[in-house]
Amino acid sequence: MDNITALQTHNLTHTVTSKTGDLTILKGIDLEIKEGESVAIVGSSGSGKSTLLGLLAGLDRNTSGDITLYNHSLTSLSEEKRALLRGEYVGFIFQSFHLLPSLEAIENVMLPAELKGDKQARQKAERLLEQVGLSHRLTHYPRQLSGGEQQRVAIARAFASEPKILFADEPTGNLDEENGKTIINLLFDLNRSQGTTLIMVTHDNKLASMCDRQLIMSAGQLKEGSL
Amino acid sequence: MNFALRFIFREMRSSEVITLIVALIISVGTVTSISLFVDRLQLSFEQESANLLAADRLVRSDEPILTAWRQQATDLGLEQASRASFATMIFANNKLQLSQISAVSDTYPLKGSFLVDTQIFAKGFASSQSPQQGQIWLSSRLASLLNVNIGQEVEVGDKKLTVSKYLVLDPGSSTSAFAISPRAVMNVADVAATNVIIPGSRVRYSLMLAGNRDKLNQYETWIQPQLKDGQRWQTPKQKGQRIGQTIDKAESFLLLAGTLAVVLSGVAMALASSRFVKRHLMQVAVLKTLGATPRVLAKLFLLQLLFLFVIGALGGIVGGWLIQEGISSLLSSLMTTTLPEPSVSKLWLGIATGFISLIAFCLPLIIRLIQISPLSVLQPAARVEKNALAIYVVGFIGLYGLMCLYTQGFMLPSIMTLAIGGVGLVVSILGWVMFKLGRLATSGATSGWQIGLASLYRRLTPNLFQLLVFTLIIMLGLILVGIKTSLVSDWQAQLPKDAPNHYLFNVQANQVEGINDISQQLGLTSSSWFPMVRGRITKVNNDRIEKLYPEGKSEPELFEREMNLTWADQVGEGNKVVAGDFHANGISLEQERAKEAGITIGDKLTLNIGGISYTLPVTSIRTVDWGSMRPNFYVIVPKQLLSHYPANFVSSFFIKAGQEQAFYKAMSGYPTVSILNVGDLVKQIQTIIGQLSQAIQLVLLCILAAGALVLIASIGSTLEERREEGALLRVLGARASLVRQALIVEFGFLGLFSGIIAAIGAEASLYGVQTFVFKTEASWHPLLWALGPIIGVLLITSIGVFASRTVLKVPPMLLLRDF
Repeated sequence: MDNITALQTHNLTHTVTSKTGDLTILKGIDLEIKEGESVAIVGSSGSGKSTLLGLLAGLDRNTSGDITLYNHSLTSLSEEKRALLRGEYVGFIFQSFHLLPSLEAIENVMLPAELKGDKQARQKAERLLEQVGLSHRLTHYPRQLSGGEQQRVAIARAFASEPKILFADEPTGNLDEENGKTIINLLFDLNRSQGTTLIMVTHDNKLASMCDRQLIMSAGQLKEGSL
Repeated sequence: MNFALRFIFREMRSSEVITLIVALIISVGTVTSISLFVDRLQLSFEQESANLLAADRLVRSDEPILTAWRQQATDLGLEQASRASFATMIFANNKLQLSQISAVSDTYPLKGSFLVDTQIFAKGFASSQSPQQGQIWLSSRLASLLNVNIGQEVEVGDKKLTVSKYLVLDPGSSTSAFAISPRAVMNVADVAATNVIIPGSRVRYSLMLAGNRDKLNQYETWIQPQLKDGQRWQTPKQKGQRIGQTIDKAESFLLLAGTLAVVLSGVAMALASSRFVKRHLMQVAVLKTLGATPRVLAKLFLLQLLFLFVIGALGGIVGGWLIQEGISSLLSSLMTTTLPEPSVSKLWLGIATGFISLIAFCLPLIIRLIQISPLSVLQPAARVEKNALAIYVVGFIGLYGLMCLYTQGFMLPSIMTLAIGGVGLVVSILGWVMFKLGRLATSGATSGWQIGLASLYRRLTPNLFQLLVFTLIIMLGLILVGIKTSLVSDWQAQLPKDAPNHYLFNVQANQVEGINDISQQLGLTSSSWFPMVRGRITKVNNDRIEKLYPEGKSEPELFEREMNLTWADQVGEGNKVVAGDFHANGISLEQERAKEAGITIGDKLTLNIGGISYTLPVTSIRTVDWGSMRPNFYVIVPKQLLSHYPANFVSSFFIKAGQEQAFYKAMSGYPTVSILNVGDLVKQIQTIIGQLSQAIQLVLLCILAAGALVLIASIGSTLEERREEGALLRVLGARASLVRQALIVEFGFLGLFSGIIAAIGAEASLYGVQTFVFKTEASWHPLLWALGPIIGVLLITSIGVFASRTVLKVPPMLLLRDF
């Protein structure tokens, strides 16, 4: 199992065009992540962490170089194909949760499974919400939940499609310490029990040190590091 | 101040403020274009009616027109014509005949035209020239009574005049259907030489005016205070109730359309301003923590509002002007006459709409905004919705006030409000049920159908609101279609194709049978014969009229002159008894005349018929449909009163085009019978109806355009959420086509539901409008039930998908950047 490569990049470069000229955010990044690994990407604000995460997850197309997700080259795929790939392999947790405000907690969790046409969506969502300790909050709307609870729903949603690889963007960034701790524990528990690959962007060194590997982003370059 | 301006210019770039400005431009623009266009139509109707008046305005007097009056008209640059009408004897071939003469100036008629012919009893052709000096035009009947032909001379007093044409219609007197004496028209310059007008003669002098409306209004303001008894200022609208009623109905309709524009604008304003306020909540809270006082904030936002108002109003006026110009030029190819220029004074309505809307929909929200606690910085969950009800109430009052301003009354706004309130309630209930059913029928998110239908229920509150908005727009559109259909059919019913176009009067009892034979041979449609006996009211409750209305006090029309009395066993067609008993042994009066004379049931009237007086109580009051084109009477008396008098009979006929010659020829055997051709009057009315019906279609189009813009604005208010949802669905692996399909299903069903509910609402409102406003019989409108859902689906799906097209384009990456 350790031999399978979940994600690989080769000379990944990303440039954005702005009024003041072209700005290269990522400068030739080479990276390989094995299935089941947990990887933290740390770095200062504006160093390009979130951009890298988005590109790795196929949310956008890189300017040059290659990204391979489970043997699929993301660079050559259209947005349409990348969407299908995301549905198949990828789960996501955002700093600001991004729950749909008009959906109940359970419906938010069901969404990815439903998109896959999973008939068991509801049962799975119920189980996941129970695992994150929200079985009493199934029919609550996001606005009726605290920040910590919202992120727990988001975690349940991320695991609902049984992703092979989970991307987390500052998952505790909007939470207090206590809630942050709960979220982290949940995230790692679920990650372990489902055998998911985890790639996480964080400012929190403590959180980063819980991962198998730490990558430090600095001026568009990525270095293997230890904290 | 500097801060405020900097603030405003920063704001100008934000989408909410742009939306608000656009909403203002739309609301001011829509109202401006409609009010300008309505104004042009009204001017056009006035022109049409002016053709019946033979002028734009006229002053009528029993004394010769004062030189000062003419001078004032000259000073104002108005066109003038004059007419003197009097009854006198015309002499020819040793025959004398009492005639009604119009002596007119060379410039007469200022509007419309004469109908004349060179053949006796012919249909006539238009002539805008009046008789030259030394000439006279006789009606065919007069010519036949005097036994003269074209080219021969007749004597009017001391003056010999040559008959040059047969008069068919004098435009200025076309509605006086019951003039008993046959008519003639001569040049006013010949009047002095006739010596027939001596002190004490009954002459009706008219100074006719035409020209620029502002100048005419100026003239009216100038002359009104100078008018004495026996002098009257006449406008086209007063001339002929039939045309007046048509214009009134048109006004009602177009104002209803205007009200719709106001409602739409209000919705757009509310949506835009609520977004505006939402975005400023945090800003204000932060400013407060930085020490901004409510006073400073109030100033800041009021300045912003003022600035927005100025931009919106200016943009709206320019846009509105352009739109109505566009509509008018489109219309001009359809209409026979060009529309007159709109008056700049009508712009205030659009400006007022913008101002009141801004106050009604923005100000309460801004006040709440200013009152927000600085603590909200720390607790973003604390929202302004707490007092939402108060905000809606102010918005409603503003809207209602605007509607009242528009319709100059409470009836229409109240009906509209009730309808909207009812629809709101029904929409909420039905919408909830429909959305719920849609949700139950589908589960999962594998197809656009499921996601689309499910999101209807998921976004319940905003969707119910949108459902309400869409339903109202479609419903009001349907109401317009319905009103248009029922108005036009109502008019057509009033003036059916075979509406009588000829009146026959002065028919003796022994001639009735012969004329009936002619009618039968030619296969004509006729109404029944009404006997007429001349009589006059001399006393009211035993007080002599002369005593009640001494010299110098103008008497009501009922007592003014000798009139035609009739009897009838049945209440005539188009007559409706509103008080008393028609069959009682007494007098039945027409409601308007009775009201004018202050007579009610039980009052005793003394009638002088052929020198003998009869005193009878008034036992019933009737309304009369003057639009029926059938003979109608002010006064109906019991049969036994008139049975021993020789009666003249009157009837109306419908004569098909092409049959006139045959009919006139057959009737030449009855030279004493008067024939009045009113077919052209009917044609004139039908032209106005035709124009109105085209105008209605265009106003409807205009409103649909406004409605579409409101839809876009209302979708705009949920756009952020939709974009986020779209991005998220894509992140979670949904294909773009799935998101598109879901949008189509969502808007399609929203449209379908709206259309169905709109059809129900429109049918109900039409019942109310038909029954209470237009006072016509309510009817079913099957067309609406088909149109509603079809229009709903097509309109809302296309606009909805168009307005939310960015949902399909939003890069999923944005989710990492925070919305």
